[in-house]
Amino acid sequence: MEHDLVGRLMTDMDPDMLAFLLTKVNSFVKWDLIRFFHDNPHTTDTAENIARYAGRNVEVTRSELTQLAAAGVLSESRLGDMVVYSLSTNPEIRDMIRRFVEASDDRQFRVKAIYHIIRGMR
Amino acid sequence: MDDIVTTGIAGLDAMLRGGLLRQTATLVEGAPGTGKTTLGMQFIYHGITQCNEPGLILTFEQFPQQYYRDAAAFGWDFRRLEEEGKLEIIMSSPEVSRADLERTGGHIEQRARTMGARRILVDSISHFERLSEDPVHLRQMIFAFINGLKREGLTAVLTRESPALLGEAEAFDEGLAFLVDTYIQLRYVEMDSAIHKALLVLKMRGSDHDKDIRQYSITSSGLEVRSRFEGREGILSGSPRRMAESFVQAFVRR
Repeated sequence: MEHDLVGRLMTDMDPDMLAFLLTKVNSFVKWDLIRFFHDNPHTTDTAENIARYAGRNVEVTRSELTQLAAAGVLSESRLGDMVVYSLSTNPEIRDMIRRFVEASDDRQFRVKAIYHIIRGMR
Repeated sequence: MDDIVTTGIAGLDAMLRGGLLRQTATLVEGAPGTGKTTLGMQFIYHGITQCNEPGLILTFEQFPQQYYRDAAAFGWDFRRLEEEGKLEIIMSSPEVSRADLERTGGHIEQRARTMGARRILVDSISHFERLSEDPVHLRQMIFAFINGLKREGLTAVLTRESPALLGEAEAFDEGLAFLVDTYIQLRYVEMDSAIHKALLVLKMRGSDHDKDIRQYSITSSGLEVRSRFEGREGILSGSPRRMAESFVQAFVRR
């Protein structure tokens, strides 16, 4: 009963935002990467360098970047012998990222987002 | 005068006999805090607001937010200029930027075409040094990178960190100096128990530039280049000495 109440409270957010959180963000590394690309919208770089900027493990970052690219949040392309990542040019995705990052400034939203990410990691 | 690109720093433009030459590369070298990035940002801001020349900032180290904050301290609204499509701050790495310039339709090429970007600040070229320990290979890479910028019609200011705070700087890098068209050094100088800043144009291709070592300061509106150091010698040592009075008099009489 109490569990249901918490679940209902935690899903009390914009449905599009909830869907974005559950299907695109779904890990703390992705959260960091999405914020990184929001703050650096013109960045095109390798997984190694992005991991360095984000202060994360390279292999974990590479895997998460690949998943974000598959989800359409990022673009993955080849540049010479390098695989590079940049922010999607899709205006709807960019708008969703902007809304997500702005919403993350609110503590209540952060608590809900953390709840869903931890649940998704189980 | 279209071949001359003013920096927006009146004293420096005077030393350069009007400004930098269009589609050339200028290296600005100095210790941390000497104002390399400020000089570069001023060059970009002046280009956008006074010369109708959109600009790019290619950073290998700092996030765009840092530039927004630093520029705002001088009253330069970089965020607004980005929104207006006159400025783009690109955070990337030397290897990706170099590869980008060597392909058709790369990001920098697109920005030069769609934004009409004419100026670029590369902050800083020191980061290329991690790509190769072979100085010859390193110079080749930097040379290809600088040529790529020129090919896109950009006038470039490249910053480079000097590890020496005071005293003798590391040996003048002739290899790198050969690659750029203009070479400006920013130095700290200890004088009368205070730290001053000195600016020197070491090289400017095809120009009889001012050879004086000039004082400068970072004011609320950016870099301000002032008069030369009078009555001192050994300024580049970081600890200048007063010149003998007789020598000063003889110098002044001439």
